Amino acid sequence: MRPRPPLFARVVLRVLLNRNDRRTVSSDLREMYEQRLSRDGERAATSWWRRQWRQYPLHLLAERFRQTTRPSPRRPAVGANSLRESIHNMLSDLRHSVRSLARTPTLTLTIVSTLGLGIGATTAIFSVVNAVLIEPLPYADSDRLVRIYTDSPPNKWPFSVADYRALNEQQTSFSSLAGYRNRTMTFNRDDFAERVAGKLVTWNYFSLLGITPLHGSLFTEGDGAPGSEPKVIVSHGFWMRHLDGDENAIGRTLRFQGQGYTLVGVLPPDVGPFEHNGEFFAAVEWGVPPRKGPFFIMALARLAPGVDEAAAREELRAINKRLFPVWQASYQDQRASWGMQSVKEVVVGDVTATLVIVLGAVGFVLLIASTNAANLMVARATHRGRELAVRAALGASRRRLLQHLLAESTLLASVGALLGLVLTVGGIKLLTTVGADFIPRTQEVGLDGATVWFLLAITLGSGLLFGLIPSLHGAKTQFATALRSESRSATEGVGPRRLRRALVVTQFAVAAPLLIGAGLLIGTLANLQRVDPGLVTENVLTAAISLPASAYPEPGNVAAFWEEAQQRVGALPGVRGVVFADSRPPGQLNMINNFDLRDKPTPPNESQPATPWVGTTPGYFELLGIPLIEGRVFDDGDNTPPPVAIVDEAWARRFYRNESVLGRQFYSGGSTRNPVTVVGVVGDVKHVSLDAPDEGTVYWPRSLSSSRFRFIFIRTSIDPISVLPSVRQVFRELDPTLPLADVATIDELFGDSLDTSRYLTILVGAFAVVALLLSIIGIYGVMSYFVQQHTKDIGIRIALGGGRSNVIRMILGQGMRLVGVGVVVGIVGAIFLTRYMSSVLFEVGTTDALTFATVSIVMLGIALLACFVPARRAAGLDPATTLREE
Amino acid sequence: MGRDTLGEFEHQLLLAILQLGGESYSVPLVHELEERTGREVAQAAVFIVLSRLEKKGLLTSRLDDHAVEQTGRVRRYFKATPEALRRLKQSRRALVRLWEGLDTTLDEA
Repeated sequence: MRPRPPLFARVVLRVLLNRNDRRTVSSDLREMYEQRLSRDGERAATSWWRRQWRQYPLHLLAERFRQTTRPSPRRPAVGANSLRESIHNMLSDLRHSVRSLARTPTLTLTIVSTLGLGIGATTAIFSVVNAVLIEPLPYADSDRLVRIYTDSPPNKWPFSVADYRALNEQQTSFSSLAGYRNRTMTFNRDDFAERVAGKLVTWNYFSLLGITPLHGSLFTEGDGAPGSEPKVIVSHGFWMRHLDGDENAIGRTLRFQGQGYTLVGVLPPDVGPFEHNGEFFAAVEWGVPPRKGPFFIMALARLAPGVDEAAAREELRAINKRLFPVWQASYQDQRASWGMQSVKEVVVGDVTATLVIVLGAVGFVLLIASTNAANLMVARATHRGRELAVRAALGASRRRLLQHLLAESTLLASVGALLGLVLTVGGIKLLTTVGADFIPRTQEVGLDGATVWFLLAITLGSGLLFGLIPSLHGAKTQFATALRSESRSATEGVGPRRLRRALVVTQFAVAAPLLIGAGLLIGTLANLQRVDPGLVTENVLTAAISLPASAYPEPGNVAAFWEEAQQRVGALPGVRGVVFADSRPPGQLNMINNFDLRDKPTPPNESQPATPWVGTTPGYFELLGIPLIEGRVFDDGDNTPPPVAIVDEAWARRFYRNESVLGRQFYSGGSTRNPVTVVGVVGDVKHVSLDAPDEGTVYWPRSLSSSRFRFIFIRTSIDPISVLPSVRQVFRELDPTLPLADVATIDELFGDSLDTSRYLTILVGAFAVVALLLSIIGIYGVMSYFVQQHTKDIGIRIALGGGRSNVIRMILGQGMRLVGVGVVVGIVGAIFLTRYMSSVLFEVGTTDALTFATVSIVMLGIALLACFVPARRAAGLDPATTLREE
Repeated sequence: MGRDTLGEFEHQLLLAILQLGGESYSVPLVHELEERTGREVAQAAVFIVLSRLEKKGLLTSRLDDHAVEQTGRVRRYFKATPEALRRLKQSRRALVRLWEGLDTTLDEA
C-alpha cells in the first residue's frame, strides 16, 4: 500500500505551494508511483516514493531560499524607511556598545539569536491567541451576539423548527433572531459540476450580524418563504471563481442542486468565522412543522439594548416551559431547557486550551532564552570588572556605568527583536497555513498593532531581565578589588557565581515542565494511534454523493440510481463490495437521536439518552469488517415495518449491563408509537472520533429509495485509489452532472483525524527540545567557566595527589547539584501546571509517573554528559603546565 | 545575461518538452529524460525546474480540467514560450560554433 507523504513534506508543501500546485504534485507523483509499481514491484516503487517525498520539500526550500537571496527589484515595504532611520539613530547613540559587543562576536550572536528565536516564536503564537481568543469577532457590536441552543447537559443541541418559530414569536429580550443550517449543494454551470459548502439562512441573518454586501443587496423579509422565488447570496471567492468577478452577475440565475436561485448579492472578501467556509447563502423560511424535532437550526440573536444576559436567560427558560406541553406528544424531554452562550465561545471554545498551552510553552522558552542571555552577560560583566573599575576610578558615576551596561543589553534586545520580527512574520504564515484546519479565525491572524506592541513589551521585559540583573551586579563590583587583582583571568566573585548558578537552576526548573508537557502529548498521540477504530480500515474507498431533488423527484428514481450504482461499481475489477450509509467514521455523523427504552422508561424529569444513529444498507457490517457479536445483521426484509435496529456492544453495556439486549424495544426520536426492536449486536466503531468514549451506536436499515444523500463505501482488493478513475467513470455515465465529493479512504480519514494532536505535539515538542538545548548550553557554560576559573586550584589538587577521579567527581557533583535542584523544582511546578492540559490528553494522567520519571532521567542524563566534558578536561590538566602558566 | 543563462537541466527539460510535442506534464517528461539521457531523473527536481522556468517566462502552464474529470488526476501542462525557443536556438548556435572542427580532435583523444 502506498504510504502517506511524511508530515514534514505535507507541512512544507502546505506553506510554500498553493492548493492547485499541491494537488498537481501529489497527483503526478501518485501516477508515477503506480507506473513504477507495475513495472518495478512494490518495494522499489515504495522506496522511490519515499525518496521523492523526502527530496521534494528540501528542493523546494532550497529553491525558495535561492529566490529570496537574489537581489530583487521590489521596493522596500512601506514603513521600512522610518524604521531604518530610527535604527540608524539608535545605532549612533549606541556606537560605543556596538564596538564593545563586536569584540565578542560569538557571545553577541548567541545572545541575539536565542533572544530572537524566543521573541519571534512567542510573538507569532501571541498573534494567533490575540486574533482568535482576545479580539472581538468581526461583527457589528459582537459582544451582544449570542447563540441560543437546546440545553440538555452536557450537550448543547441545535434548535428545531418548532423551537425557532416559537422563540421568534414570543421573545422580547432580543432585537433580532436569525437561524441557519449548514448545507452542501451541487453547483452546476454548463457541463461543470462542483460540490460547494454553504448555508441556508433566514432572511435577516446578515443584517443581524451587521454584514453589508460588496455588490447587490441583502435578503428582504419574505425571501425564502415557501413558494417565493429562491434567492442566494454568494461569497467573494465564489463570485471571483465562478462568475469571473462580474458586477453584472447580480440578478442572474445560478443552479444549485438542480434548482435555479436568483443571485441578489456578493459578500465582501473579509467575512467572519461563520461565513468563512461558506460559498453560498440561500434564503430559507421554515413552515409550521408536524412535530417538535428534528433539531438542526443554529439560532443566533442580538440582545436588545438595555437587556442584560440574566434577564434574557430567564425569558428563554420561561418560553421553553410554556412551549413544552404543546409538543409533548412528540417530545418528552422535560429537563432540557434553552440556554445561550456568546457567539465567540461558539467559535473558539474548542481551541482555547490548546492555544493557551502553546502560548505558555513558548513563553517558557522565552524565559529560558532570556535567562541564558543573562547568564552570558553576567560572565561578560565579570570579565569586564577591570574595565568598569578603571572607568569608575576616572570619575564615572555608578549611575553612568549602569546606563552604559543597560544600553548594551537594550541594543542586544533590539537586534534580537528585529530578528524576532522576521521570525514572527514567518511564524504567522506557518501557523495560519498549517493550523487553518483546526484553528478558527486564522484568516484574521496577522501582524497587527497589538502584536507589535506585544513584541515591544516582551523585548523590553526580556531586555530588563537579562540586562538589569547583570548590570546591577556589574555596577556593584568592588572596583577597588578588581583593580588590585593582578591576575589576567580574575576569579569570578562569589556574587556573580551564585547568580549564574541560580539562573541555571531556573532554566532546568522551567525546561522540566515543558518536557513533561511534551512527553504527555507524545503519550496521548501514541495512545490515539493505538485505538482500535473497530473496523477494517484498509482498502476502503469512500465518497459522498447527493442527488438533486429536481432530477430525482420520486423514491423510484432515487432507488433506481443507487441500485444501478451499486451494481456497476460492484462489478468493477478490483472491487469486492459496495454499500451505502448516511454517516462516515470518524466524525461525519448524520444524526444523533434520542430514544426511550420500553422496559426502562426515562423518569419524567430526566433527559432521554441520545446516541449516534447510522443508517446503513445490507452488507454494511460484513463490508467494513465490523464483527457480529449476537443476533443477526440486516437483510432486505428489514426495510418494511415493524422497525428493527442493531446496536453496538457499548450500547448494550450502557443500558443492559449483563443482560441480553436481543428483542428489547425502544421508542425513537421522542415518539410514543411503533417501538423499534433490537435484532443484533455488533462491535464498537469509532464513529465520533478516536478519542471519544464508546457511548453506544444505533444502526438502522435504510432502503435505497430513502435518501438522496449517501456515502458510498467501496471495499477493494487492490490499492483503493487505483479504482477511483473507473468509479468516477461509472458515476459520470449514470449522471454527468453529479460530482463525486469528499473522496477519501477510511485509512486517510482516521489518519487525518489525528492531525490536531500531531501538530500540537510537534509545536510543544519543538519548544521543549529548544528549552532543553538552551538549559544544557547553560549548565555546560557554567561548568566550563568554573573549570577555566579554577585551573590553578585543580592543578594544585592533582599535584598534591588528589586523584583525577576525585576531580571528576567534584565537578560532576557541583554541576549535578544545580541540575538536580532545577529538575526537582520543575517537577513540582509541572504537577501544578499539567492539570491545565487535561482537556487535550487522552488516556494519560496529568501526573503520569512514567512520563515524569522518563523526563527526569533524560534531563539528568544529558546534563551529566554536559558536565562530564568540562570535568574530563579538568581531570586531564597537567599540574606542572598549569602551575607554570600561573 | 549573467545568471539568466539556461542551466543544463533547464536546457534538457525544455528540449524534452519539445520532443513531446511542445506540451507535457511531469510524468512523461521524466520518462522522456530518463530514456534519452539514460540516467534516473528525480521527479522532485523536475517540479522545481518547471516552476522556475515558468517564473523566468520560458514556460506557460495550464491545469488540465479534462484530466481531473476523466481520471481524477490533477495535471499541469507546461508549454514552451517563443522566448524559450529563441534561447534554445541561440545556445545551439553557440555550441555548434564551439564544436566546429573538434570532431577529429575528440575522436583521436
